[in-house]
Amino acid sequence: MTGDHPLIRLERLSKAFGPIYANREITLDIHAGKIKSLLGENGAGKSTLMGMLAGRLHPDGGRILIDGRPRLFGSARDAIDEGIGMVYQHFMLVEAMTVAENIFLGHAGGLRLKTEEMERQVADLARDVRLDIDPAARVATLSMGEKQRVEILKLLFRRNRVLIFDEPTAVLTPQEAQQLFEALRRMARQGKAIVFISHKLDEVMALSDEIAVLRKGEIVADMPAAEVQTKEDLARLMVGRAVILQVKRQPQETRQTVLRVQGLNDKPLKDIRLTVRQGEILGLVGVAGNGQKPLVETICGLRRPQTGQVRLMGKDWSHFHSDRRWDGNLSYIPEDRQSLATCRYLSLTDNFLLTTRQGFCRGPWLQRGKAEKRLRELIQDFDIQPPDPRAEARQLSGGNLQKMVLAREFFRRPRLIVAEQPTQGLDIAATEDVWQVLLKARERAGILLVTGDLAEALSLSDRLAVMFNGRIVDTFEADNQSKIDRIGLLMAGVTDQPAEPAPVHVT
Amino acid sequence: MNTELIVPLLAAAIQSGTPILYATLGEILTEKSGVLNLGVEGMMITGALAAFVTAQATGHPALAFLVAGLFGAAIGAIHAIVCLWFLGNQVVSGLALTIFGLGLADYLGTPLIGQTAPGFNKLAVPLLHYIPGLGPILFQQDILVYGAILMVPLLWLFLEKCRWGLNLRAVGENPEAAAAAGISVLRYRWIGILGGGCLAGFGGAYLSLAYTHLWTNGLSAGRGWIAVALVIFAFWRPGRALLGAYLFGGVMAFQLRLQAVGTHLPSSLLLMLPYLLTVAVLVFSSWKSKQADAPAALGVNMEPND
Repeated sequence: MTGDHPLIRLERLSKAFGPIYANREITLDIHAGKIKSLLGENGAGKSTLMGMLAGRLHPDGGRILIDGRPRLFGSARDAIDEGIGMVYQHFMLVEAMTVAENIFLGHAGGLRLKTEEMERQVADLARDVRLDIDPAARVATLSMGEKQRVEILKLLFRRNRVLIFDEPTAVLTPQEAQQLFEALRRMARQGKAIVFISHKLDEVMALSDEIAVLRKGEIVADMPAAEVQTKEDLARLMVGRAVILQVKRQPQETRQTVLRVQGLNDKPLKDIRLTVRQGEILGLVGVAGNGQKPLVETICGLRRPQTGQVRLMGKDWSHFHSDRRWDGNLSYIPEDRQSLATCRYLSLTDNFLLTTRQGFCRGPWLQRGKAEKRLRELIQDFDIQPPDPRAEARQLSGGNLQKMVLAREFFRRPRLIVAEQPTQGLDIAATEDVWQVLLKARERAGILLVTGDLAEALSLSDRLAVMFNGRIVDTFEADNQSKIDRIGLLMAGVTDQPAEPAPVHVT
Repeated sequence: MNTELIVPLLAAAIQSGTPILYATLGEILTEKSGVLNLGVEGMMITGALAAFVTAQATGHPALAFLVAGLFGAAIGAIHAIVCLWFLGNQVVSGLALTIFGLGLADYLGTPLIGQTAPGFNKLAVPLLHYIPGLGPILFQQDILVYGAILMVPLLWLFLEKCRWGLNLRAVGENPEAAAAAGISVLRYRWIGILGGGCLAGFGGAYLSLAYTHLWTNGLSAGRGWIAVALVIFAFWRPGRALLGAYLFGGVMAFQLRLQAVGTHLPSSLLLMLPYLLTVAVLVFSSWKSKQADAPAALGVNMEPND
C-alpha cells in the first residue's frame, strides 16, 4: 500500500474529437491508498480522460500502464476486468430493477439468479463498508445519495482497485457529501486508489492527497495537496487567470408583487406558498428532484395548477397564460437549454424569434431582417461566440448558448424571471457574466432563481427558500446568518433545532 | 348457450389463440431487449410458408416447424442488421419487414394455393381428456398448443430468474448502464430479435401445419399486428400474454361461428371484431398502466463509442 510505484500511469495520452484536442499528451500517476483529485473547469477534458481510463473511449495516442505493464482497453469490460470502475455523473443504473439486481448486473456467476442470496451478499457488503442501503429496494424509489451508494457498492462488489468519481457531490446535500467524503477516505485507507473529479475548490482542498489541474486538455499542475497554499492559487491554475468570484449586490427597493403562489398542493408539491416582488431575487435551493421542477412548470404555464392559487402580475394563472404579451412579462430560462430553450438545428435568428416573434411582426409577415439586425447587437453585447446570427444553435458551446438564451429573454424586458440552474455547466468567467446580468435584471424584474448551487444562491439572493420533498421548509432573508448555517440540514429535511449543529460544507 | 356450443368454441379459442401466443411471446422477448419489431406479421407469414413447403417436401411436420423458426429468425436478422449495425429507424424497418414478408409469401405461395401438407393432429391426453367440459378444451389439442403453453413459464423463467434474462432486461431498460457493467448490448439485442423472430415463425407454422393443413395467401390475416398490441396489453409479462392470446382467439373463433350460423350482421362487421377489441385493449392498457411497464429504452438505438 505504498505510493512508491503507481498503480496506474497514464503516459502521453491524447484524444481528439475532430480537429479539437480534448486531451493532449496527458501524463498522470494514480497511487493505491491515495485520493487524487482532478480539478478542471467544464470542458477542460476531465471526462474524456476518465472515459479513456474506463475503457469507454479509445485514445488516439499514448498508453495506459497498469502495475507497470501497458494495457489496451477495447471496451468497458476490459477496464472492469483490470479493476477500474467509475461512478458517472449520470448514474448508470437500471431504474426498474432492484439494488441487488443492479449490483449483480454483468457479474460472472451461475446461470440461475438466487434473489435472496444476492440480497444477502449485498447487505453484508453494505454493512462492511458502512453504506446503508436496502438491497431489495427498486432503484427508482431511491434518493440521489442512495443511488450513488449503489454505484459505489457495485464497484466494491467487483473488488475494484481504482474508483473514479465524476463530480459526485453535484447531486448531494452537504450532509450526504460529508458522508461520501468519509466513505472515500475509508476506502483509500483500505488501499483503493480514488480519483475524484471536480471543479469545486473547497471539496478538492478538503479531501485530496494529491491534486492535478487540467486546463484546456492539458495537465498544468500535479502536486501533493499539502503544497497548495490557498484556494485562489488553485483557481488561478484552473482558469489561467486570477478570479474572484464575487458580485456586489446593492440593496434594491422592492416594489410590486409579480408572483404569488398560495396553497399549491399538487402532487408532489405540498402547500407551496411564496411571493416574488420586483427588485428582488428569491433563491429557491434544494437538492434536485425535491419538487422544484413541477413548481417551475406550474408557474411557467406548462402544468395546470389543480389546487391553490398562482397569480402572476396580479392576474390569475389561466387568465395570465391564456393571454400573454411577449414583452414586459414572464421569461423562463430553463435548466435544459439544449432542448427546452432552443432548437438545435435552427439558426440563432430563428431561435431568437422563438419567444420574441411578436415583436418582429407586421401584419402576418415576420421581419427577419430586422430581427437579425437586433440579434447582431445582442451578440456583441453578450459576447456570444461565434458572432454569427446564421450559425445553428448546436454549433454553440453550452456557455454561449446560455448567453444567447439570456440575451433573448432579457430583450423581452421581463418583469418576472424564472431562472433554473442558470450557470450549470458554465465556466467561471461565463458564470460571472451571467450573475452580473441577473443582478442587473433585478432592477426591473422579480427573479425566482432555482439552483442547486448554494454559492450561487448565497451570492445573488435577497431572500432564500429551501425546498425538500415537495415542501418549502423555510424562507428567510439572505442576511439571516443562523439560518444560512443550517441550510444544509434544511435541504435534508431537518427542520427542528438539532442537539448539536452538524458541520456544514458550503461550496 | 349450452355446453354443446360453448365447449367447441373454447377449444377453438385455444387453437386460434396459439399462433398469437407464440408471436406475442416472441415480441415480448424482442421488446424486453429494447428493440421494437413491427415485422411480426412478416416473420409469421414467412414462417408459415416455410413450414408448409418443408412439410410438403419432406413429410415431417416437426422438421417443418423448426424450419419455420429458422426462417422467422432469418427475416428478423434483417431487422437486426438494419437497426443494430446501421442504426436504422426501428419503426420503418419493422414495417418494411411486414410488407416484404407478406409480399414474398404471396409471390412464392400463389402456386401452392389449395394444396395440402401433412401437419399436426389432435392428441388426446390419456385419462385427462375424459374430464367433461375441460377435457375437450384443454386436453384434446395438438402438441403445438402444449408447446406454446410451455413457452410461457420458460420465457418467464428466462427473463426473471436467469442471469442472461437479467442482462437482456438491463439492455432494454438502460443500455448505457448495461454497457458500463460490461454487458454487450448488441449481443443481447441480437438474441432478443432472433429469438422473437423464431417464435413468430413458430406461430406462422402453427397456422399452416395445425390450424389449417392447406395453403391460402394471407394466412396470417393480421395476427402479427394483434400480437404487437397484445404485448402492451400483457404489460410485457408472459403470463398475461397467455390470457390475452386466448381472449383474442376466442373472439376470432366466435366471429367465425357467427358467420357460419348466419346472422343479420354483415360479415365485414364481424371480421372487424378482433381489431375493435385490439383498439379497446390498447386504450384499456394505456389508461391502466400509463406505459410504465414498457422497457425504458424501447425503440432507442444505441450509438457506438468512438
